[in-house]
Amino acid sequence: MDGAKEPDRFPCEDPHRIDFNEDNVRIGIDIGGTFTDFVFFDEELRAFYTYKVLSNPLNPAQPVLDGLEALDLKKPPSIIHGSTIATNALLERKGARTALISTYGFRDVIAIGRQVRSELYDFAAHRPQPLVPEELRLEIKERVDHRGNVITPLNEEGVKDLCESLKNLDAESVAVCLLFSFAYPTHEKTIARVFREADFFVSPSCEILPEFREYERTSTSVINAYVSPIVDRYLQQLKDRLEDVDFRMMQSNGGSIRASQIRKQAVRSILSGPAGGVVGAFHIAKIAGFENVIGFDMGGTSTDVSLCAGDIRITNEAEIDGFPIRIPMIDIHTVGSGGGSIAYVDAGGALRVGPQSAGADPGPVCYGLGGTEPTVTDANLVLGRLMPEYFLEGRMSLDSRSAQSALEDLAEQAGISAQSDLSRSQTAALGVIHVVNARMERALRVISVERGHDPKDFTLVSFGGAGGLHAAQLARALGIPRVLIPPTASTLSALGMLTADAVKDYVQTVMLPGTTAIEKLETLLEPLVDQCLDEFQQEGISKDRIILQKDLDIRYEGQGYELTVPLSAEFEQNFHDSHMQTYSHSSPDSPIEIVNVRLRGIGGVPRPPLPRAPLGTEDPEEAYLGQRPFVLIDGSVSPKPFYRGDQLKPGHVLRGPAIVVYKDTTVFLPVGDRARVDEFFNLVVEIGSET
Amino acid sequence: MSDFDPVRLEVFKHLFASVAEEMGMVLRRTGYSPNIKERRDFSCAIFNRSGKMIAQAAHIPVHLGSMPLSVAAGIEAFEFSPGDVVILNDPFRGGTHLPDITLITPVFIDHEGEPDLLGFTANRAHHSDVGGMTPGSMPLSHELYQEGVIIPPLKLIDGGEINQGLFDMLLANVRTPGERAGDIRAQIAANQRGATRMGELVDRYGRPQIEEYMRGLLEYAERMTRRLIEGIPDGVYRYHDFMDDDGLVGEPARIEVEVTIQGDEAIIDFAGTSPQRRGSINAVYAITLSATQYVFRTLIGMDIPSNSGCLAPIQVIAPEGSLVNARSPAAVAGGNVETSQRIVDVLLGALSKACPERVPAASQGTMNNLTIGGWDNMRDRPFAYYETVGGGMGACPGMDGADAIHTHMTNTMNTPIEALEFAYPFRIRRYEIRSGSGGGGKHRGGNGIIREIELMENAQVTILSERRRFEPYGLAGGEPGLPGRNILIKKGEEKELPGKVSCEVEAGDIISIQTPGGGGFGEKSSRR
Repeated sequence: MDGAKEPDRFPCEDPHRIDFNEDNVRIGIDIGGTFTDFVFFDEELRAFYTYKVLSNPLNPAQPVLDGLEALDLKKPPSIIHGSTIATNALLERKGARTALISTYGFRDVIAIGRQVRSELYDFAAHRPQPLVPEELRLEIKERVDHRGNVITPLNEEGVKDLCESLKNLDAESVAVCLLFSFAYPTHEKTIARVFREADFFVSPSCEILPEFREYERTSTSVINAYVSPIVDRYLQQLKDRLEDVDFRMMQSNGGSIRASQIRKQAVRSILSGPAGGVVGAFHIAKIAGFENVIGFDMGGTSTDVSLCAGDIRITNEAEIDGFPIRIPMIDIHTVGSGGGSIAYVDAGGALRVGPQSAGADPGPVCYGLGGTEPTVTDANLVLGRLMPEYFLEGRMSLDSRSAQSALEDLAEQAGISAQSDLSRSQTAALGVIHVVNARMERALRVISVERGHDPKDFTLVSFGGAGGLHAAQLARALGIPRVLIPPTASTLSALGMLTADAVKDYVQTVMLPGTTAIEKLETLLEPLVDQCLDEFQQEGISKDRIILQKDLDIRYEGQGYELTVPLSAEFEQNFHDSHMQTYSHSSPDSPIEIVNVRLRGIGGVPRPPLPRAPLGTEDPEEAYLGQRPFVLIDGSVSPKPFYRGDQLKPGHVLRGPAIVVYKDTTVFLPVGDRARVDEFFNLVVEIGSET
Repeated sequence: MSDFDPVRLEVFKHLFASVAEEMGMVLRRTGYSPNIKERRDFSCAIFNRSGKMIAQAAHIPVHLGSMPLSVAAGIEAFEFSPGDVVILNDPFRGGTHLPDITLITPVFIDHEGEPDLLGFTANRAHHSDVGGMTPGSMPLSHELYQEGVIIPPLKLIDGGEINQGLFDMLLANVRTPGERAGDIRAQIAANQRGATRMGELVDRYGRPQIEEYMRGLLEYAERMTRRLIEGIPDGVYRYHDFMDDDGLVGEPARIEVEVTIQGDEAIIDFAGTSPQRRGSINAVYAITLSATQYVFRTLIGMDIPSNSGCLAPIQVIAPEGSLVNARSPAAVAGGNVETSQRIVDVLLGALSKACPERVPAASQGTMNNLTIGGWDNMRDRPFAYYETVGGGMGACPGMDGADAIHTHMTNTMNTPIEALEFAYPFRIRRYEIRSGSGGGGKHRGGNGIIREIELMENAQVTILSERRRFEPYGLAGGEPGLPGRNILIKKGEEKELPGKVSCEVEAGDIISIQTPGGGGFGEKSSRR
């Protein structure tokens, strides 16, 4: 495949929107599994650029350097950068050799976890091995109680001895997590100082997450210790080559952070790619006029869904590969189904799809790369909903006949017979789509209705390669009135990085009664505010550009879960209301408990304009590709129009049934749906009332 | 082969499972006690109008086969009307042991202007105190009446009106009424959410299709179970094992099973099992059903809906008045948590003779129930704490058993140490893997846990544990796991406690629970 080709340029015809006047050009770079994407706005040319080079998993920095060189910028840019370095280090267990120091008696907290198994009925489904091997799980004599009183003091000589013995164990990185360190961090800080003096990378839990629940805090600190040295080396490699460049990293919370800071806290970047996608989707939807957004990113092997009700939703309860990470992250729910998911018939005669996936290699049967089991993509092809000559810009030729025969076999196994107008393989293919949609619908319900949101108030933004063929049908099933497909679906993540604010999150467990005066809470937040402003200053972001958002995690006394509400005079009432909205009941007479105070500092950045053009004719003639037969939801089949997505212009109107073929995704418009291209080139599909 | 559409079968499986899971989410999020919120000791399910379980969210296996008997008891007791909610915990009328309180809500659908019953939503949650002789309600009792307040099927809400008298009566009989009230309200909300979602499904797909696929999924699960049984060689397989004692008399109790596999059906006969005992290790029939369903469910090795269809091809014969089918008013607190584990052990032991390549060695075989209660002077309030402690998992034919984990009939989380010390007058001294406790073998059994709690107040401690004498068995030449230990440390001096004990302890005393390791699999000499 071609690497350094000409950048795509999108003209921006509305000069008034251009308010991007920083000194440097900002570039969003997303290192994905296949491509490294670049997105930037060139002020002089008043144009938006997207640019792709092939990723290099062995040397992820190289494509970044190559790409920047090819762009030939006149002055050093600002780069906001998301990467899978930290994620891959974790998933592939290629992090730093990490030791853990715990309170005496608690070295196995990390291994015991919550003492539960992930699968109830599968003996073989074991928990992942802890990232810290047994010989590196060390203890130190000290103890603090829940009020922060020292029960057993720490002996600094003992710390030095421990440090000496660790030198012989070939560890590079050290996590420190002591009981109740959020209430009394001094012991952890002492240990960190001694080990840092001995040149270890140290991640004390009081620095990364001063929050109660020892297993989750330990896990977060350990992951940080495990991935940070890897990210640090990678960034150093870039810095050596690009001295003048201002480097920022995307964080999992949807904001950016200066690279020099992420080197110590790389756990914050663990989901930077998907976070960029959500930020990009929300940004585009907001400009298009939609504030309530469900993000739908359906790829080859998995699908990420997210929900933004006026704002991007953050969770403090994320888990990756079985390890909890308790730092704020964009709330993304992932299911193991995508275009490459394999369909089969189980012993009870049900048609199942996934979680096994054909991945990219061998891929679906129709790729002709050796895949033999029918996938969702094969089903879409057999239904006539893909245009082989335009699939992935024609780089991949699709073999319809073998896909058809694989689905024929599936029909045979499932006992599916041909339905009215359809062939047997088409009937089976339609079934595969129904089943995978049921799986997707369940995922979308988890993040919407289960959390108290009514889908009818939302717009579904589809930006994964496989999503366009399913989005409208899913929206109809859930009562979502509208689907938006951005014109640059595949570089949305890099665009999101470009538009991301600088964000810093802080938390402190306080465990106070709900009757605590707001002044006292403000006082408790002061050290966090000072730290936040100080760190922003180090990043060169001035005080006047920073918005501070203060929140409280509150629960009814005795509850085990908290809800986050803003710190304000009405926090009690807001908590009861929020409880009512989330769980459909509240107990305004019951005492409440303030578990944590939270601070989020947001350093706003000016947003680059989106490509825009005035609305023109409704007639999409220039994008029309002709008619071809494809199978509709009800199983009928007849020739219907196909359009080329990159030829669509603002103002164009399409009526379903129709198919729109983009470079990186294909969109299926069912009967009754009406799509218009808005002035930002988004395809906005209004879901019809017919079913 | 049935006439059900293979596509719709899968689609409705997701739809119903999604309802049950959403109920669980509501319960977990709105519940009050750490037991529900942190440990997730609850289950949610939906039922058809005749009380067959259609879908259960994957929560706690011991509730699997027993939830349908709750709904059956509700149906037997009442003609349901819209707005009703039935509550029960009577082990001899639809319950299992008293702390497990079940709430049943009918789902009515409008039919030509009249409400018509579609089915039920139900959930069961373990309450950390329901009264009785010791805090935590897991006592060493010798009759049911000592174990707490007994709730036969009763309408807690009658046509939308809460029966305040009943509610007050219940709360007057428990040690922590505020927490109970909160948990029960959460249970009501969870059922309500499930009922609302079922109504929406009917609006979307029409009632005939919903009912058709409720039936379809029952038949589907049945087919899957039949396929599994078909794959097991025909024959008669026997196994027996022992419970250490009943907490009153030191004599072991025998559990014996004969599994007959014939074609695609199985007969499970517990003849030869000890008569019910005076101590609280008696299991009601519902528990024996749950354990059986669990064992077959694990052997299927595929993701199928947990519903009543799974048990259709399996006949479970349990002699009445025995340890596995106790008669009222037997003490049953431990039957649910301890005897259920041994029932699994003997079933797996028997099946290991039929399909040795699929069955793991014995896991810890106990839940190590620990309850502590008393008065907290510092917080000026009573406290009642209950939790279970994980142990070693038995080694599988192809891999080592997992360390420090809950196995078989339970899967409840631990309470974080920092959450415990915020809420209770405890200081945890140690929480670690009990190394060397897993049985040796080609594949090693998992290690147990050591959990040590120092009491900061005088308190009453009750331990209900097993496998302190009879160790978890190994298979194919693997060594057994190490039995567990309970130790009281008083002023530095260790005193071995029995497996089942209730005692007064003083501030400063330490309770050390050391849980059993899992059995090994295969000869130790062949370990690489």
